[in-house]
Amino acid sequence: MAARDQHGAEAPWDQGFRVVGKENRKVDGLSKATGEAIYTDDIQLPGMLHAKMLRSPHPHARVLSVDTSKAEALPGVVGVLVGAELPVRYGVIPWTPDETALAVDKVRFIGDEVAAVAAVDEDTANEALDLIEVEYEVLDAILDPEQALVTPEPPIHEDRKRRDNISKHVELEFGDVAAQVEDADVVIEGDYTFHSTTHAAIEPHCAVAQPNSDGRITLWSSTQITHYVHRALARVLELDPARIRVIQPCLGGGFGGKSDPFSLEFVVAQLALKTGRPVKMLWTREEVFYAHRGRHPMKMHYRTTAKADGTITGVDAKLLIDGGSYSSFGLVTTYYSGQLLTGPYAFPNYRFDSTRVFTNRPPNGPKRGHGSVQPRFAFEIQLDEVAEQLSIDPIEIRRRNFLGEHTETVNGQRVTSNGFMQCLEEVEKASDWRERRGKLPFGRGLGVAGSMYISGTNYPVYPNKMPQAGVQLKIDRSGLVTVFTGGNDIGQGSNSMVAYLVAEELGIKVEHVKVVAADTDLCPVDLGAYSSRVTFMVGNAAIDGARKLRKQIVEAVAKNWEVEPRDVRLMDGTVVDLSAEARSMTHVEAFHLAEEMFDTLGSTGAYNTPTLGGDYRGGTIGSSPAYSFTAHVADVEVDTETGRITVNKVWVAHDCGRALNPMIVRGQMEGSTYMGAAEVSLESHHLNRFGLHAGPSLLDYRIPTSVDTPELEALIVESIDPEGPFGAKEAGEGPLHSTIPAIANAVFDAVGIRLRHLPFTPAKVLAALRAKEEQA
Amino acid sequence: MRVFRLHVNGDPVEVAAPEHWTLLEVLRYQLGLTGSKQGCDKGDCGACTVLVDGTPTLSCLSLAATVEDQQITTIEGLLPAHRAAGGEGADPLQESFDESGALQCGFCQPGMILSAKALLAENPDPSAAEIKESLAGNLCRCTGYTQIYEAVLAAAKADMHAAISTDSAKEVQS
Amino acid sequence: MLRLPKFEVKNPATAEEAVAMILEIEGDARFIAGGTDLNPNMKHGLFAPERVIALNGIGELQGIRLDEDGSMRIGAMATLAEVTKHAELNQFYPALCQAAKLVSGPQLRNMGTLGGNVMLDTRCQWYNQTYFWRKSLGYCMKKDGSKCHVVEGGSKCVAAASNDTAPALMTLNAELEFVTTEGRARLPIADLWQADGIWNKKLPHTALLVAIHLPKPAANSHGAYGKLRDRGSVDFPLFGIAARLNFGSDGTIEDAALCAVALQARPWPLKKAASLLIGTHPGKDDFNDAVEKVANLAAKQCRPMPNIPGDHEYRHLMVPVFTRRTLHAAASDEGPVHHV
Repeated sequence: MAARDQHGAEAPWDQGFRVVGKENRKVDGLSKATGEAIYTDDIQLPGMLHAKMLRSPHPHARVLSVDTSKAEALPGVVGVLVGAELPVRYGVIPWTPDETALAVDKVRFIGDEVAAVAAVDEDTANEALDLIEVEYEVLDAILDPEQALVTPEPPIHEDRKRRDNISKHVELEFGDVAAQVEDADVVIEGDYTFHSTTHAAIEPHCAVAQPNSDGRITLWSSTQITHYVHRALARVLELDPARIRVIQPCLGGGFGGKSDPFSLEFVVAQLALKTGRPVKMLWTREEVFYAHRGRHPMKMHYRTTAKADGTITGVDAKLLIDGGSYSSFGLVTTYYSGQLLTGPYAFPNYRFDSTRVFTNRPPNGPKRGHGSVQPRFAFEIQLDEVAEQLSIDPIEIRRRNFLGEHTETVNGQRVTSNGFMQCLEEVEKASDWRERRGKLPFGRGLGVAGSMYISGTNYPVYPNKMPQAGVQLKIDRSGLVTVFTGGNDIGQGSNSMVAYLVAEELGIKVEHVKVVAADTDLCPVDLGAYSSRVTFMVGNAAIDGARKLRKQIVEAVAKNWEVEPRDVRLMDGTVVDLSAEARSMTHVEAFHLAEEMFDTLGSTGAYNTPTLGGDYRGGTIGSSPAYSFTAHVADVEVDTETGRITVNKVWVAHDCGRALNPMIVRGQMEGSTYMGAAEVSLESHHLNRFGLHAGPSLLDYRIPTSVDTPELEALIVESIDPEGPFGAKEAGEGPLHSTIPAIANAVFDAVGIRLRHLPFTPAKVLAALRAKEEQA
Repeated sequence: MRVFRLHVNGDPVEVAAPEHWTLLEVLRYQLGLTGSKQGCDKGDCGACTVLVDGTPTLSCLSLAATVEDQQITTIEGLLPAHRAAGGEGADPLQESFDESGALQCGFCQPGMILSAKALLAENPDPSAAEIKESLAGNLCRCTGYTQIYEAVLAAAKADMHAAISTDSAKEVQS
Repeated sequence: MLRLPKFEVKNPATAEEAVAMILEIEGDARFIAGGTDLNPNMKHGLFAPERVIALNGIGELQGIRLDEDGSMRIGAMATLAEVTKHAELNQFYPALCQAAKLVSGPQLRNMGTLGGNVMLDTRCQWYNQTYFWRKSLGYCMKKDGSKCHVVEGGSKCVAAASNDTAPALMTLNAELEFVTTEGRARLPIADLWQADGIWNKKLPHTALLVAIHLPKPAANSHGAYGKLRDRGSVDFPLFGIAARLNFGSDGTIEDAALCAVALQARPWPLKKAASLLIGTHPGKDDFNDAVEKVANLAAKQCRPMPNIPGDHEYRHLMVPVFTRRTLHAAASDEGPVHHV
């Protein structure tokens, strides 16, 4: 079934679009440009207290006692909280609740939270922290994942069924990879390393809680997952969730770094309940680095077998994943590390064996391209090596292995639209690949890589059969349509997306749509901004809700005009009669007619995924209603004397199904590519020999400035997905993946060295160049 | 506590705050001008950039006590100044940031826009390289900067266009 | 947000008044110029003065002027941005302007002053950290502790001079004008430093730097600054080197000076190495050969330590590369040497 059929003949489409596909402004753009937009730390409430966190100086220790008496006695201190007061465990994945708001029995990394103080101002709270006396029994720390694998004692988490430091192990085989080795014309085998990097959203985490006199509590938090925070708060605070309201104000960037419930949210809520006063906690940049949940470091071993014509016959992977100190999304990460590699190329045999271990490092979690950026890095280099051995052009080998559209991957994932071939063509053309690749002077080169990513998955974090996304629409007699959505706009523009779709569907102007989002008292549930699910799921829910309203409006107008409903057309705020007698009315008049006919107007819309995924344990993890596809070409220069890699330019082509707003899609593609490029040589979430973050600041964690960012050219490919909202798929995470291997492959083209271990520091580049010279 | 006599967005203001407070703290938490953001605590990110006598300055590293005689412009000051000068809508830079898609999470953008504002005041027709250079102290984590450059270029063009049409209007009048 | 310590702020109108203010209380007091070094350091708990004395109201600390004897007087409060843009400075003292332009990012150069950059506190990855961070490791000898984490068992602090402009001023034989309780004094910049990372200056922090004097340049003086850092902006130097070359009328080098920074506590002059250039002819083989020798000698004399972030062995590998590139850039007026 094509996308057009899904939407029905009466839905706007292609030339008929009035909003979709246009470079409309964002609904909140000007409010951000003028400083009017309110972020969490912008909230100030009368009588508000300021809270600070006491953190562990040890990477692994038992907490024997916490004495807060001196802190409590300090004038200006209003409330103090210790772990024993909030002992209920939580975790974003309900199967692995291994976190507490404050340490109850143990601390598991330097920076782990131990106690909190609320005081009249920040200075007093800081002063009080120094007066808290904690007695620790220091335990051996495990800082290296290899060591964690073979060191069951001491277990970092003690009361699990298994007494070791394995967080999750997944081994899945599809076909028979071992059997391919003998028949292969080429076998490439190698080790790859992905280091630790973090999100570094410019807004630090912040939460404000306000207790109400009736026993209710409101929490404003810089979160990407209002609904999960709501559930976790109810669980940990042991309160009826109906008495808790969670609101996400404007969010200063997330990238996956705000998609777990965090200790500060529980702490301010509990302190607010305890003191009866509003409480704010704003983390310092250093604390954000400890909260982390960044990209999992992985040590990866891959073996790819191929035929002489470049056809891949099998891929065998073994991955060791450093989980850090808590589970976070780790169960999903472990599956994603294998499950998401099975496109855009077809391979008939595939095995992955992924083990996530606990270490005494800040917890790892989901960073943009969760779990799949690391394997993609390894595999795309390996594919380049296959091409090199067989003397096949690197773009050509990717074409030859194309998975196809409307098909199924080796691990049983249904793939619908697939514009990967066009992505390859776009980057090939734009980079002048044929004329330049392999022909540039020594020191300069081009590299290519491809990837695929999910548009959400059909695995809700907690099992339930309710919709994954819901919206509610309300119509005002002024002509204003208010859309209530639980979706989290984290800067990616999801509120704008909702407004565009509702405006399109109702035939009104975007300025007549107001979006109220991410407020659990007001908005129907959406699961949150993660796994690139929002455009697909909330978008479909918005269309669903608006379509129901449109039907009523059309019916009311048709009756009034005494014409057939198919002759009533809504566009740009005007309702026109398509039948012989040309006439029109404003959408406001039409709304009034509909309200007369149907009473107060409103509707709900929902989306749930179809049944997807392979019929095996974990088969639904990573199964998405639609996959996006990406190709990158990077143009790099290597200074062979300093070892510095300069990325001159990156072309990124991305199949986003349909670009609901090409300007926003380009922004996502450029931002993703920038973030990927930053992970190549600059950024490293590095711990020193004590297990302490070596430089927890935006000075020492080097995120690129404007002059460090390559020129970026975004090339949008639209495959029009049959199930996406007006054919759209995700664009926020996919375009990161292949940036990194494209740069690695370009370095090979430039100077003939294969770099397999991130980060590609100048020192490493120099060493590789020297090693190559010695060989020659 | 000390009473600071500041000049913020054209207004003389007297505000009492602890003497060791930074300009950023006074702006955000005493005057409620929360458009200036705090991202890194200590001068590494540029989100707190304000204009002091027209010069981009990190308000998180400025003591309120050292800027009492100077004109401070925050992001909140641009639109009213533009209106006072007879303009419509917001400041051309604010409009062009919105039109170019340069605002994703928006957190770095007040500082970014003020850095760009100072650049255009000094150099109305900057090259791409000059734009890059002048924004190299404002970290953005969302955009990859490309749409920001487009926004600044578009605003420069709009400004020039406006200047030319004013000039030609004057010529016609005379 | 990281907090500043509680202090009072004084706003003196003269240098003498400022010096009196810093000495009149028993507790710690600090001068604050642009605030770009002291404020982050205070937020990290490295200094907790009871009094901060703001220098921005002192007239004589402002401005850059050409004196009658042909020397330049740069007020200590002249910002790095002013230095960067100053026409005569660019013409006669290019290494200084290049170094100033490569300090941090644009806003910081608008605020940071040349005097402040000269007086910059030394830096170390074990020191420029928050109170919590440093406390977790039992502090270090530079602040609150007794250990050194750079050199285990070390007895001397090896925090690194990280001021980009210092080596440039060293090659230019700058003189520093201080006001102390004793009165006014001028000190050659080479005499300012001592090999102690805790406080790398021979004068106490209560001495007020009021101006930097640059002697009248030789007729044909060239210079350049080279800076190694990870990013093209914001970052402190991982290695920095300034060069000055005076050409005679026949194009031979008559005088040469070289000075490195971001090694240990002091800016590191390379006198012997620079002397190898004298008598050579830029653009000819003898100069090129001499540059190679200078680069190799610099690599022997400059030994980066794991005090500041980054791989110190790599920094060492870059010493000859940046020395060579900076000398060639100085000879051909193509500085600065920097990756962006």
